[in-house]
Amino acid sequence: MAETGTLHLWLMRALFAALAGALVFARLLPVDMVPPGWAGPDLFLALAFAWAVRRPDYVPPLLVAGLALAMDLLLQRPPGLWAALTLAGVVTLRRRAPALRDLTFLAEWAAVAGTLVAMTLAYRLVLTVLMVDQAPLGLSLMQLLSTLVAYPLVAALSHLVFGVRKRAPGDLATGGRTP
Amino acid sequence: MASDRGQSDDYRGPLRRLLLGVLLVCLVGVFLVWRIDSPRVERFRAQVVDRVVPSMDWAMAPVTGAVRILRDFQSYQRMYQQNRELRRELQQMKAWKEAALQLEQENARLLDLNNVQLDPRLTYVTGVVMADSGSPFRQSVLLNVGARDGIMEGWAAMDGLGLVGRISGLGRNTARVILLTDTSSRVPVTIQPTGQRALVIGDNSPAPLLDFIEDPEQVRPGDRVLSSGDGGVFPAGLAVGQVVADPGGRMRVHIAADYERLEFLRVLRSYDHERIDEPGGIIAPAAPDTGTDAPAPRAAVEAGNG
Repeated sequence: MAETGTLHLWLMRALFAALAGALVFARLLPVDMVPPGWAGPDLFLALAFAWAVRRPDYVPPLLVAGLALAMDLLLQRPPGLWAALTLAGVVTLRRRAPALRDLTFLAEWAAVAGTLVAMTLAYRLVLTVLMVDQAPLGLSLMQLLSTLVAYPLVAALSHLVFGVRKRAPGDLATGGRTP
Repeated sequence: MASDRGQSDDYRGPLRRLLLGVLLVCLVGVFLVWRIDSPRVERFRAQVVDRVVPSMDWAMAPVTGAVRILRDFQSYQRMYQQNRELRRELQQMKAWKEAALQLEQENARLLDLNNVQLDPRLTYVTGVVMADSGSPFRQSVLLNVGARDGIMEGWAAMDGLGLVGRISGLGRNTARVILLTDTSSRVPVTIQPTGQRALVIGDNSPAPLLDFIEDPEQVRPGDRVLSSGDGGVFPAGLAVGQVVADPGGRMRVHIAADYERLEFLRVLRSYDHERIDEPGGIIAPAAPDTGTDAPAPRAAVEAGNG
């Protein structure tokens, strides 16, 4: 029992890493080099948040930090800063996960929105203070909004396809089988 | 498993918090190091990209191909219309080709008459676009040629039509080209036919801004924009695009290169050639090494003394 539980846990962590890899892959495809007038959602962030709220043990800080740093390097962002903020956001949501478990999806969405706004503000603030070139404000806001809009979809997909569900009260009794 | 967590929290909690703190400090540290010593970290980034992206290439190439086929399929629906457009353009092109050939001959004759020495022809290395920047905020592409092929930082990259960008970020097998549309791109240009100097400044829009024009009055939409070679960044005379005016009245450049289909890029080899920094360098060439046949410099020195 314990063996399968641990195996399942590590499988889900591997799945998270694989999904992150697939997202990077999709973004690096050289399909269109014309600068788009819009910015799509940061799906990795939505995925990490959705999983952190539902199953904190599937997104351990070390994994999130490693993936986020790798993304910073591959996607030409200032390395480290966005990764640190992502880690902070995920950990915040992990902490709040027990409280969010009993609330509605709307409350969860609001919590995610708050975290995301705080992260974006902090990011832009630090970049401004350190005088680093940064993206136009409009694009940042667009990415923030589209990530928020995409969040329910990502959450639904995680729930239905990958089986990342909130722990129901009854689960504790059978914790060994489906941790 | 999960129910055990409750009891073990008293010693795992602080440990986790410590690990988390260390992680955060590490990430912020990486960022600060990048801010302080950017070239070193960027080199590290180039090496990471060099290691990771080519290993994804086997999967990327077919997916990209499939997407392109889909796009082409959409354009087949307008095939008849496109065909007519193409025929009309072809006729115009034939007329232009004739004119160009005549001009080329005339040019060659005149150059011959004047005995003019031109810069040596630029040679190039052709690379295939492997990946783009992956972010809506940065405009760059990754080529499959790198330091191994003799590419150097700062060289210009063109497609068949015009300037695309410059090399910035070099791995062993890959090189990153910062496109003209990136916010960090600045390229000195001349605007023909008036010969005004200006800068093409990328601003994350499809048509980069034209700024620091010497005399904006003389620049008209439709003028040709060529690289000027100022600052020794690019060779002079590469086609960049055409001047257009945006609705706000500011001058922008309609880029000649086809950014919708960047597939093969030429990286121009441009080694530093002789540079003339002071006006004196033109009058008196290299210092005379023997005293036998150097009357001219001596005369110059005497003239200077007198």
